[in-house]
Amino acid sequence: MALRTIRMHGDPVLGKVCREVMEITPKVKMLIEDMLDTMYEAQGVGLAAPQVGILKRIVTIDIGDGPIVMINPMILKSDGEQTGGEGCLSLPGKAGKVTRPNHVVAKAYDINMEEFEIEGTELLARAICHEIDHLEGHMYTEFVEGDIYDVEEEE
Amino acid sequence: MTTEAVSVRAISLELLLSILKEGEYSHLELSAALEKYQYLSKQERGFLTRLTQGVLERQIELDYILNQFSNTKTNKMKPVIRCILQMGVYQLKYMDSVPPSAACNEAVRLTAKKGFSQLKGFVNGVLRNISRNLDKIVYPDENKSPILAASVRYSIPEWMLLQWSRDYGEQKAKSVAAAFLKKERTCVRVNRMKTTPEALIQALKRQGIAAERVVFSEFPKLDYALYLSGYDYLAKIPEFADGQFTVQDLSSMLVTHIAAPKKGDYVIDVCGAPGGKSLHAAELLLGEGFVEARDLTDYKVSLIEENIKRSGLKQICARRIDAKILDKDSVEKADLVLADLPCSGLGTLRKKPEIRYRITKEDEVSLVKLQREILSVVWQYVKPNGFLMYSTCTMDRMENEENTAWFLKQNPQFSLVYERQFFPDEGEMDGFYMACFKRTG
Repeated sequence: MALRTIRMHGDPVLGKVCREVMEITPKVKMLIEDMLDTMYEAQGVGLAAPQVGILKRIVTIDIGDGPIVMINPMILKSDGEQTGGEGCLSLPGKAGKVTRPNHVVAKAYDINMEEFEIEGTELLARAICHEIDHLEGHMYTEFVEGDIYDVEEEE
Repeated sequence: MTTEAVSVRAISLELLLSILKEGEYSHLELSAALEKYQYLSKQERGFLTRLTQGVLERQIELDYILNQFSNTKTNKMKPVIRCILQMGVYQLKYMDSVPPSAACNEAVRLTAKKGFSQLKGFVNGVLRNISRNLDKIVYPDENKSPILAASVRYSIPEWMLLQWSRDYGEQKAKSVAAAFLKKERTCVRVNRMKTTPEALIQALKRQGIAAERVVFSEFPKLDYALYLSGYDYLAKIPEFADGQFTVQDLSSMLVTHIAAPKKGDYVIDVCGAPGGKSLHAAELLLGEGFVEARDLTDYKVSLIEENIKRSGLKQICARRIDAKILDKDSVEKADLVLADLPCSGLGTLRKKPEIRYRITKEDEVSLVKLQREILSVVWQYVKPNGFLMYSTCTMDRMENEENTAWFLKQNPQFSLVYERQFFPDEGEMDGFYMACFKRTG
């Protein structure tokens, strides 16, 4: 298990557009494993590669139903609306109200570079949108409605 | 991404501290929080409201219980710890849906989160002890010290109960105090320029909101008030945004109902914000006449303007004019002057539970002075044969009956045509006083 350093809000790497992954090399495999470890360690529900300083289109998500790895993800369809609080591992202890689609269909490649489709509602839809935004250099703070507020941290 | 683990109890604690320590108003703080945390589930919103209001309503009783079990008395505690303990006791005693272990554990967690880890043991000890002995709490003896007993039971300061007992009798004082603890539904006035009570009831019903007509046998003609219940967030009801109804307490509706402006009247509301009575008056003009709603500050005037806009009424405007200073242009111009003046507000303890711990006897005395100062200016706006309606939302003879007597003595050109003190135990309404004078000379 290897943990990577999570880049904090303000780090220029978080504002950059990521490159597509062309093939799964041992380095990419290692990156994905490290991302999952890092995400679980930080008690996040999602992590994008730029958050650990790597400008590749890779995200990991686990909303409590097991890990999802998405390589070169793309949203095919989204509809509905949900407004709620979300936070980001690159801005710990804070959250803000963001409106997202309530239903999302996305496609991506898995760790064997095989294409798959994924459909999510509510939290999963929110997480997919949030992480894909990172790959385009966007943070949720750009879309927040009202103030970004402090959330209590568990001891 | 992270999901936020914002706990409803932590929000409630922050609200309570800003209300009890910083002197903010509970209804404003609570509605701001409900707006900010819109994504909370309906249950969580309900829990937040109930816990926050409950702790405010029961301060005296909660402290009384805590002081039986804690060696450190509540007035010596740090405000944060006192508040966390009060929340804990309220959940133990009044919220059946909360298991005692949850009430205690969450209080301990909050204590640590607020940076008082060293007091975790104390909070845990006091609350678990209370939880075990909840049915063994000894209350003051109703016969030996009736006022103290009522004060603890209804969480009303003793001086206030003494004042009500002297003015209205001990039974009435207790009945009023008990009424403040009863839940009330939201009272709204139907804007009959836009819809009818029947049509609105049906429209709300389709959204799962229960609306029931208000029946007050003393005033059978008041047939445009409804009680609403079962809604989540008022501002989201389309009929509200469209101005088909206004939230207004029954007592305050009665002021305009009894003053009864007629078609063609010119009405001045000297302390108008947020505009409920003025809009009601404008509606009664039936398209002819005018209402001028005044208040002291730009902020208050903006509140009136917002409500005018929503109502779509035309015969009304809002102006910033200090009621204490004579406006020469208005002298003898008005058919009706509405003077709903600043008061101690003791009739509104159900909606604003915290003011009972703030208002003092001295405040009442200085309010009487202010009321007299305003009355001696605004009567001059009344035309001969016109009316002056004086009202307050309090139960205090000094501010009410004694002011009326004083006014009549000072101004023999006025005669009293109606006077009534309304009490919160008469129905789902605030305590309220009104006196209507006719200018005869």
